Amino acid sequence: MTGMKKISILALALLLVVSTAFAQGTKEDSAAAGQVELTVLNYIDMSEPNSANEVAMIWDKFSAENPDIKVVREDLFNEPFHQKTEAYVASGQLPDVLYMWPSGRSTSLHTTGSVKDLMPFLEKDGLVDSYNPATLAPQYAGYLGELPNGITTTHMLYVNKKVLRENGLEMPKSYAAMKAMVKPLKAKGIDLIAMDNMDAWVMQSCLFSMVVGRYGGVDWFERVENKEASFTDSWFLDSLKLIDDMYASEMIKRNSLTSPYGSSRGRFAAGKAAFYIDGDWSAGAFQTDITTGQALISKEAQANDFEMIVMPALPGEVISNSNSGVIGTGFGMSANLPSGSAKEEAAWRLIKFLQGEYVQTYRLTTGASFPSNLNVDVDKVVKEANLEPFVAKRAAYYANYNTITPVVDGVLPADVNNVVNTGLQEIGLGKKTPVQVAQAVQKAWNEWESNK
Amino acid sequence: MSKVLSGKDALSSARKEQKRSYWMLVLPAVVIYLSVMAFPTVFSIVLSMTSYNGGKIFGGRIPVEFVGFKWYKRLFVDEYFYLALKNNMWIVLVSVLGQIPLGFFLAYVLYRGLVKLTDFFQTMIYLPCVISTVVIGILWKSFFSPHGAFPEIVRLFKPSYEYGVSNHPILPVLFVILWMYTGTYLIIFMANLQKIDSAVIEAARIDGASEGQSLRYIILPALSGVIVTSCILAISGSLKSFDLIYVMTGGGPANQTSVLSVYMFDKAFKGAPNYPLANAISTVMVTISFILIGLTKWAESKFGGRE
Repeated sequence: MTGMKKISILALALLLVVSTAFAQGTKEDSAAAGQVELTVLNYIDMSEPNSANEVAMIWDKFSAENPDIKVVREDLFNEPFHQKTEAYVASGQLPDVLYMWPSGRSTSLHTTGSVKDLMPFLEKDGLVDSYNPATLAPQYAGYLGELPNGITTTHMLYVNKKVLRENGLEMPKSYAAMKAMVKPLKAKGIDLIAMDNMDAWVMQSCLFSMVVGRYGGVDWFERVENKEASFTDSWFLDSLKLIDDMYASEMIKRNSLTSPYGSSRGRFAAGKAAFYIDGDWSAGAFQTDITTGQALISKEAQANDFEMIVMPALPGEVISNSNSGVIGTGFGMSANLPSGSAKEEAAWRLIKFLQGEYVQTYRLTTGASFPSNLNVDVDKVVKEANLEPFVAKRAAYYANYNTITPVVDGVLPADVNNVVNTGLQEIGLGKKTPVQVAQAVQKAWNEWESNK
Repeated sequence: MSKVLSGKDALSSARKEQKRSYWMLVLPAVVIYLSVMAFPTVFSIVLSMTSYNGGKIFGGRIPVEFVGFKWYKRLFVDEYFYLALKNNMWIVLVSVLGQIPLGFFLAYVLYRGLVKLTDFFQTMIYLPCVISTVVIGILWKSFFSPHGAFPEIVRLFKPSYEYGVSNHPILPVLFVILWMYTGTYLIIFMANLQKIDSAVIEAARIDGASEGQSLRYIILPALSGVIVTSCILAISGSLKSFDLIYVMTGGGPANQTSVLSVYMFDKAFKGAPNYPLANAISTVMVTISFILIGLTKWAESKFGGRE
């Protein structure tokens, strides 16, 4: 019996040693191969056809060019990505490199100082002049937490000109003209605007932020901060009333509140709606999938039947032809990496690559993002690479508006922004009036200020 | 003398051996229970009364402070808490008054052989229980979407029908919950019905008892304990329901389909993470669960217990 006990204990101990050895296997393998292992949390937009190709075109290329770095990557999309990030922040155990926003859903990464300031790295390598200066502006916590891929405009009004033509309609010059299109299109079973508002951020980011800018001006947030304006004032209230009117007049259908993000793109492409509202990042979703050759909108149709513009003049707007924009997304570096370490050097090499000329040119061709790297000659790439018409149209779209105003979730604290997001959905459902929502937002702002 | 001493030694040695064996057998379970059940529960209550907001608890960038019942006060004035609670109560009602009676009815029909193809029906009713909740959620989400199968089916009967957002967006979710979990209770009741001696029922029928009387005076009393257990399962399961709702609606639109667990998750991981508030919500959920289970036990002692 004693002998059996000894054997059992020995077996257990052996099992423990073997398991530990296997658990450590990956790191030891990397170390033995003289590699630095980097953990990366990456964002892959699964609603876009060419996202998956980035694994081969970007990540595999980096690994081939940098055999001394082993990248252990985790790819996530939408809510699961954000929730995983929050879990990492809560635990204080961040991946070495991670995809992030300059504010909004990545606020906690900035406010907890979880990522390093990348400006000293850019300065050290003499790369500051390689980027559009606007993209290197301080982010939510007052420093460059991530190296952005460009400037993102969060409102893009796609137009199906074929639908308009077939129904004897013209490109709308005003909100009223657009609203007048509801009736003739409805008679033919066509929606005016397709939008997917099930996720609360979509309305706020892709439409409401632009509307707030039109009514509140470029400096609306500074005026709120300085107590020169409040959310119960007419600029904010009128913005909410406009959204209410769009739902009430069926410019946007209320059932869009049960439509998951990205699901209306096919309907719009098929002519079931005359307009589609999304952010500029969605342009690539309509382009050809490199692997299958399939596209939601063919090259010919892209050239002849579709257009990208911003919302026409709104009644009572204080600035016209504006759009909402924010510094783009990019990659940040964990503050846990020791300064001067091999890991830090490897992480910076990866970030430089990810926002370098090669990757930004590739992402321009797939429509994933518009470059922040000034070494990418957009006009030349568009002409020489014989890109799809949507790429050129997107470049023209950026010259289509004359002012950029803040995106609501880019400037408001998350506690307040959540109330805006929910309030916009409540207006859509008819559960609350614009006045009630405005009061709720002001209350949340007051609470946030008192707890600051 | 030496014999007595050695006897005592042997007794002492046996007791030590017994004690050692006892601890060897019990300790792993105790350690696991304390580490994964008791400690997190107590720790969650402690966190709900602090200002902790991520990162290291000790030596973090922002020191953690004790704030008393601050988050509980905030919770009890939040309209969305009551909305989530109300939805949870709807789910409890659908579970207790929908799944269990329906599960029992179907089990009874199959057990008594009132329909043919009993095996087929049993399999079909239980089928949703073996499919991943995520798959079910996605399936029903697309079914109830504005351009999904549901509006198309209704248009077969009413061509002018247009899918709108109803005043009760929780209704499709409740329907799916009823469809999904009824099979579990069907199996529980089927298993317990088969334990009842059929001779007793036959004897009652020979003595002139009707089908209803057999059910009322023989079968239901025999199953009272199972019904209570099912109620406890349904209540605790309803309060922690998360996966299906998260996949189907994410609690939206405008939190109209949110339940306490989704509300808690949103507070912890969405927008502005508030871990103490999320812990306060979980503490309230556990408390509500205890109260409802207590009520069920009381109802059983008052009206049942003839098993």
